[in-house]
Amino acid sequence: MPPGPFGLDPLLWAPLRLVIAVVLALFLVLNGALLQIYLERKIQAVIQDRLGPYHVGPFGLLQTFADAIKLIAKEDVRARLTDTYFFLAAPALVFCPMLASWVVLPFAQDIVGTNLNIGLLYLTTLGSMTVLGIITAGWAPNNKYALVGGLRSAGQLISYEIPQILALVSVVLVVGSLSMIDITRSQTGPFVNVLILPFSFVLYFIAALAETNRTPFDLPEAESELVAGWLTEYSGMRWGTMLALSEYGNVTVVCAIVTTLWFGGWQGPGVDAIPLLGVLWFTLKVYAAIVVMMWIRATLPRLRIDQLMSFCWKGLIPMALVNIVVVAVLALAFPTTKVPIAIASWLLLVIFVIGIPLVQRRRLRALRVRARAATAPAVRAAS
Amino acid sequence: MTFDFVEPVIFALLSIGVIAGGVAVVMLNRITAAALLMAFTFLSMAGMFVLLGAETIAAFQVLIYVGAITVLILYGIMFTKFSDSPRALFFQKQTPLAGVFVAAVAVPIVMVATVSFTGARPGPGGGDLPALATSVFTDFAFPFEIASVLLLAAMVGAIVLTKREDPEEAVRRRRR
Repeated sequence: MPPGPFGLDPLLWAPLRLVIAVVLALFLVLNGALLQIYLERKIQAVIQDRLGPYHVGPFGLLQTFADAIKLIAKEDVRARLTDTYFFLAAPALVFCPMLASWVVLPFAQDIVGTNLNIGLLYLTTLGSMTVLGIITAGWAPNNKYALVGGLRSAGQLISYEIPQILALVSVVLVVGSLSMIDITRSQTGPFVNVLILPFSFVLYFIAALAETNRTPFDLPEAESELVAGWLTEYSGMRWGTMLALSEYGNVTVVCAIVTTLWFGGWQGPGVDAIPLLGVLWFTLKVYAAIVVMMWIRATLPRLRIDQLMSFCWKGLIPMALVNIVVVAVLALAFPTTKVPIAIASWLLLVIFVIGIPLVQRRRLRALRVRARAATAPAVRAAS
Repeated sequence: MTFDFVEPVIFALLSIGVIAGGVAVVMLNRITAAALLMAFTFLSMAGMFVLLGAETIAAFQVLIYVGAITVLILYGIMFTKFSDSPRALFFQKQTPLAGVFVAAVAVPIVMVATVSFTGARPGPGGGDLPALATSVFTDFAFPFEIASVLLLAAMVGAIVLTKREDPEEAVRRRRR
């Protein structure tokens, strides 16, 4: 057992370390959510040529704090026919897996909860557990909008989990480890993984947008169709826990995975001299990814449910499988150099980007022909 | 003094979780609660695997059983008609018979387990992944492939069985 710092008794240090880690993770999650809500509103405001929050505090910085206090102080509303235990359990079922994922996030060289040798698998496992909480939250309030929203959301999460995991596999094939620390260590220097595997990065980022319910995949919260999806009956801090904390926590976790796997994690200039600088680099990279997500949210409209599903099953999953096959074959054929993999991955990316409009145009034409064929007999009957 | 006492305590808690969850799944009349408790049982099982030093198996246990199978069961429950009223006592009628069957399965298992597994205890955790991957892709490659082909066949069969004809397609064919 390792002795603690300042000559602390290991028997005292081991539980103390646990408490410090949990408190730190909670602190980061809560404040991260507050900061990200503020960022989200400000960035959208800038993009849409508005001011955003600016009344409370300097630059509106205290707005989200005020909102959080309002949420905590709000009355706990519960309909009579809700299933009490399930209703109370659902926020915890959504929140706990997200919080548990923070165990393996490598903030800097030695600042990591634990170096699990299956870190990446552990993260995907916890990601898949969120679905259970969402289905419970949809079923418990005995509300048809919540139920439909919950089932829809679960379908979306289960579908997009597949390309997400398949995109991770290609990185694991190149690096040869599932540990977050090893994956970071493998990307020393300027040649981070995004230059070698840009295609799997794009696939993962698209799937991650869907997995965290971000626009253009925020169907669970499609107000015009479903009120608020599985969150319909929740209010106050239960709503705050599930939507604000869990969603933004998941966004952070996903962006941390992106940073670690494709952007070199904590590594950056000056890290070898001052290891604590890694925290800064890691946070900067994570928040850069988060800002890109917010930018996408302010730019794109929402997809329809059938478009969402067909894009996943007919577009992302086949491409992810092709990507795995190509990377695996090239990794086996050229074990010493990564150049062929990089070339192939960039080629696949170009094909993907060019191919989408072509496929879409053909689909549109087919749809138009079909629509004309369907309306023609009706027109003939009317005339 | 060390932390040797922690492992038996965790094991006891996990065993209580597995057994109590399993019993509750069988005994409860509320089927959604039973499904969620089944997820709890699977999670406790995953904890057992972690305690044995098989983290990969534990992760797959959670990924497949909690994340996929329980969700699928809940889906099924929600799409079928059911009532939470306690009159639907289907599985509770044959208690004596069920007891006999449980005894017939459990007693040999316990006997074999106590007699034969006295030797080497599993080592401490960490690093079961390479061993698992090597054995899956070398010694057990053939059974692994057979299992995947079987699953594929089952999936295709399920799709064929449940596929309904597209109404638009049917109209177009009738017109022809």
